[in-house]
Amino acid sequence: MQSGAALRKDNNKTRINTFEKMDDIDAMFSDLLGEMDLLTQSLGQETVPPASPPSTNKEVNFSIGFTDQNESLNELEDTDLDALMADLVADLNATEEKLAAEIQASSTGSSVSTPASSATSPIPPPQSSKPTKEEIEAQMKADKIKLALEKLKEAKVKKLVVKFLLNDGSAKTLMVDERQTVREVLDNLFEKTHCDCNVDWSLCETNHELQLERTFEDHENLVEPLLAWTRDSENKILFQERREKNEVFKNPQNFYLWKKDKKALKDIKDKDKELLVQENFCGTSIIVPDLEAVLHLKEDGKKSWKQRLFQLRASGIYYVPKGKTKSSRDLVCFVQFDNLNVYYGKDFKSKYKAPTDFCFVLKHPQIQKESQYIKYLCCDDARTMNLWVTGIRIAKYGVSLYENFKTSEKKAAVSSVWTNRSTPSSSNPSTPSPTIKAKSPNQANGHAPTPQPGPISADFGNIPPPPPPMAEILPPPPPDPAFPPPPSLPSKGSPKPSLPQRKLPTNFPPPPPSMDNLPPPPPPPPIDDAPPDFLPPPPPTSGFGSLPPPPPPMSSLPLPPPPASFGRMDQSLPPPPPDPEFLPPPPPEPVFTGGGGGPPPPPPPPPPPAAGGGGGFPRPALRPVGSVKKMPPAPPKRTTPSLQGGGGDGDLMSELMLAMNKKRGAH
Amino acid sequence: MAAWDLAILVEDLGPDAPPVTLSVASDLHVGGVILKLVEKTQIKRDWSDHALWWEQKQQWLLRTSWTLEKYGIHADARLLFMPQHKPVRLCLPSGITLRLLACFSNPVFQTVMGICRMLNIRRPEELSLLRPIEHKKKKKAKDLDEEIYDLTEVPLSSASRPCLYNGMPAHFADSSQMEAIYKMLSVTQPPPAPEVIAKQYRPASVVDKAHIHGRWLDSSRCLMQQGIQENDQIWLRFKFFAFYDIEPKYDVVRLTQLYEQARWAILLEDIDCTEEEMMLFGALQYHISKVSQSEPQMMSSSAAMDDLESALQSLEVKMEGESSTASEMLETMTAPDLNDYLKIFRPKRLTLKGYKQYWFKFQDTSISYFKSKEESIGEPIQKINLKGCEVAPDVNMAAQKFLIRLLIPAPEGMNEVYLRCENEQQYAQWMAACRLGSKGKTLADSSFQSEIQSIRSFLAMQKSSSSSHGNVPASDESINTHSLVSPRYHKKYKPKQLTPRILDAYQNVAQLSLTDAVMRFLQIWQALPDFGLSYVVVRFKGSRKDEVLGIAPNRLIRIDLGVGDVVKTWRYNNMKQWNVNWDIRQVAIEFEGNVNIAFSCVTADCKIVHEFIGGYIFMSNTQS
Repeated sequence: MQSGAALRKDNNKTRINTFEKMDDIDAMFSDLLGEMDLLTQSLGQETVPPASPPSTNKEVNFSIGFTDQNESLNELEDTDLDALMADLVADLNATEEKLAAEIQASSTGSSVSTPASSATSPIPPPQSSKPTKEEIEAQMKADKIKLALEKLKEAKVKKLVVKFLLNDGSAKTLMVDERQTVREVLDNLFEKTHCDCNVDWSLCETNHELQLERTFEDHENLVEPLLAWTRDSENKILFQERREKNEVFKNPQNFYLWKKDKKALKDIKDKDKELLVQENFCGTSIIVPDLEAVLHLKEDGKKSWKQRLFQLRASGIYYVPKGKTKSSRDLVCFVQFDNLNVYYGKDFKSKYKAPTDFCFVLKHPQIQKESQYIKYLCCDDARTMNLWVTGIRIAKYGVSLYENFKTSEKKAAVSSVWTNRSTPSSSNPSTPSPTIKAKSPNQANGHAPTPQPGPISADFGNIPPPPPPMAEILPPPPPDPAFPPPPSLPSKGSPKPSLPQRKLPTNFPPPPPSMDNLPPPPPPPPIDDAPPDFLPPPPPTSGFGSLPPPPPPMSSLPLPPPPASFGRMDQSLPPPPPDPEFLPPPPPEPVFTGGGGGPPPPPPPPPPPAAGGGGGFPRPALRPVGSVKKMPPAPPKRTTPSLQGGGGDGDLMSELMLAMNKKRGAH
Repeated sequence: MAAWDLAILVEDLGPDAPPVTLSVASDLHVGGVILKLVEKTQIKRDWSDHALWWEQKQQWLLRTSWTLEKYGIHADARLLFMPQHKPVRLCLPSGITLRLLACFSNPVFQTVMGICRMLNIRRPEELSLLRPIEHKKKKKAKDLDEEIYDLTEVPLSSASRPCLYNGMPAHFADSSQMEAIYKMLSVTQPPPAPEVIAKQYRPASVVDKAHIHGRWLDSSRCLMQQGIQENDQIWLRFKFFAFYDIEPKYDVVRLTQLYEQARWAILLEDIDCTEEEMMLFGALQYHISKVSQSEPQMMSSSAAMDDLESALQSLEVKMEGESSTASEMLETMTAPDLNDYLKIFRPKRLTLKGYKQYWFKFQDTSISYFKSKEESIGEPIQKINLKGCEVAPDVNMAAQKFLIRLLIPAPEGMNEVYLRCENEQQYAQWMAACRLGSKGKTLADSSFQSEIQSIRSFLAMQKSSSSSHGNVPASDESINTHSLVSPRYHKKYKPKQLTPRILDAYQNVAQLSLTDAVMRFLQIWQALPDFGLSYVVVRFKGSRKDEVLGIAPNRLIRIDLGVGDVVKTWRYNNMKQWNVNWDIRQVAIEFEGNVNIAFSCVTADCKIVHEFIGGYIFMSNTQS
């Protein structure tokens, strides 16, 4: 950090020099920049104006130490500043030096890049071809305009310092800006806590006064709902594993076939689960489970609860008025979801004299206190409550839920590879990987001089192509490929994609044996200058770009896991190496045949008259001569797909291990 | 081999012409017969589409290499020599009738493929033909003078491989007339007059719906075999409700016709929905008709629209790069505002009784108000952020009442605030601003002007419908809202009562492009609980009463007619096999877990049920 401060001073000087050389327009821009710095400052974000002496003072203070209360806060702001400053300075240096080099006409590539980039890595790489002076000037202007606009926008962006409570009672604090989604915040928290990153990790908002709880959806922005909190609110944000968040994708039958008896639901095959997810989330329209139940509704302003027959539809919750039929046209709309969120109610039996404690609530997110505009509903049991809350979420958020799930699945797959790597001996794959507990060594690590280099982002940096931005991961799978298109499957999707990952760690120096228990090896020191601990607000991609290119792969591969089995796995994969993303959906055919045992191609709908006699499968006894026998192609006989894990628990690690064991066993 | 005389009627010689008699031997093949026949008629023309039809056997003699003996034809056979393609009147899902040449000799499945190729509809397997519902005598007379679009001139060969020209198949680019037909196919029809909706046949019960499904033609037999005559009317409809791979760029006609079928299903209550859903469907229809009138080419050029987002973004970047002065930049980043005197009323507050006039300022997403214009530089009396609020209109044109009802969320609950405007103009502006604000958008948003426009056109609708009691011809400016909802709501609400409700739903869809709006309509349709169900009245084995079998893309359901409830659901993926006993006309299905069901079909041939089930399984296997 101290070196950073020194550096900044230097840069301030060079920057002043730069300004002296500038023409009018440039001068004007620097003015503008200054103004905008002031603006940011006035917004309370304490972006330190680069040229002003106080900034250096502050940094001195910082490097000496600060009070405990503000520690995290200062740290955060400072890192934020670091990132910003780095950008700014690097930019200026790069241009200036290019200019200088051009003027002297004696420059070499090395002299251009050295001072600036070695010190502060995140720079857009200088153009390799030598631009003319005009071009350079134009470029400089453009850069500055861009910078100015960015700063202007930055100044308007709201940021909050948020405390996330963990299960063990500790807390993590992060700065969150309003453009960040819950997903991004979760990723940051993964880095901070080194948890297992499974798909259940969630952020929950609790409302103390109303005794409510809600899991944020991964695509939501975090800051907005937090701004609705009142000043004196005792609301909290929890960082927790919530099974119910993605339960519908793991066990869709519990939601879409809820009417069936429990045993049938339990026995359902993984293939049928896939099909259900497919049917309901991958078609042109998202299908909401058609729920119907007698729920208790708390009457406005009264203490009594009244029973009504409610139905859930994509367009809202309806009830059947007294004496009317259940036909759609007679239904009365109870609520629509545009402006409402659904919350779990806690302990409503004592608070509101509810018939049971299985309550959920619909309210406008801004409402924080008791109000007649809050709808309280009470279910007979926990299952019904989960059905309804999940159903409402599907109706409200639609395909976003599924996209969130897929994204988090990918995230989990990446990190499970890491976990696997660092603890190769963990031979018990079926137990869910340790979560909070696993964190403790890392916390210790966090106090090391290189504060939490952010293993995840570092990983990505070294993986040849960075993962695509969120949006690209998400497009719903093309309907074409194959019948049971499995892109989403936790069980099958994960083992494959994660395999290429196994090779990646070769980019790192092999971890010293003593550190075996630390999940991620600390990245090589030079990277450390990149902002630690806190990803700068702009989407993570920029972060990746700023990392130096991966070192050439080491020729020796001292990796512990049995290379033979991997080699074999690789054969069944599309050429794996450079692909860190999980996009390559497992080729449909294998799954199909694996799952269905090669069902016969179906008959076309208009069976030619000739087929009338005996097309289909010879099935001797008892059939009248004239009957046509047809096998419904896909469904009939199905053997368990070879890759499938036993419990279908969705635990990626176990799936992976199982798959590997099977492979190994096969050879 | 002995020669004998074979009499053949040649259709082209006219209905009264005597049969042409040929002297043939039993070992002569059909091709030879045709050759002889053509020679004898001495007519020079293209006979390539002609073939022999054997009337007694109801069979085409299409295998020209087969001998008469092999076909079993003797001197008593009544043979007819005629073209395989004949004109039919094809009623599209949009209700428009086309006259075109359909193949009478191939199985209907292939006939449909041919028709779809000609009309540029992809995925023909989703569609099929059905017999129309018989009209009463006097309606028939009226049917005749409806406009029929003639496509019989389209050469059969050109339809085989459509090459696109100007975004449409080449045969549509031949003349402006043909182009007009293509436009009719690919652009949604304006909302029908309420009387037209009311006059249409509406299935009143699930049994009525089941009867409609009894009309599907057999896909594996040809039109000729199913008693369809030249110039008969047949319906082309989407039959299998599993629509894969919809690509607006290529599926202009398919999407349009699908939308039309969905729209009519809603309007005629072929599928049930709630009142709220009906209003949303109404709003979407209104929007779609409005947008397609203003930009009729949009559907075909929607490819460009796909990139609109990115185009706008790059534009933004460009502008960022170009704006060189600070003031300019600031200008682009600060939104315009709206200022005026309005009256405010807060029903829940005792302090403000009645409406009080203030100077209002709309900025970003907030409304502030001041004592007067002069004091508007200082601190406002109150500033209300509209983000996330609910906005409802309360307008009565006759009484000149222009009220905006706001429900403003606050930590304590929702606060009611009414804003009263003086006139239409003011109302439209402020209403539009409030709507945008409630969605977190500022006045700088591009949709502001169009929002104002749509509010004004809705006001116009209210004006016209209140002045001339419903029977207004739908002009450009105003649509009778009864055209947008099913007749049930004609009785329930007057047009002017419907207007605000549809407008209310409309605000959520007003920004959609034409393609998006059509897609949204289809999505909401597909999300209805009863979507995709085709009904057949059946008698289950061992049961003594009629029940209804619903066939959906992924399951079968059993509906108790008495209660109207779904009694049982079977999913195809649990199905092991199904069989049809053609002798006793019974369908038997076996599911996993030793579940066996068997039923005979009452309202439809069991072939229809057989085709439905097979078709859905086929489609889900090949296409998803």
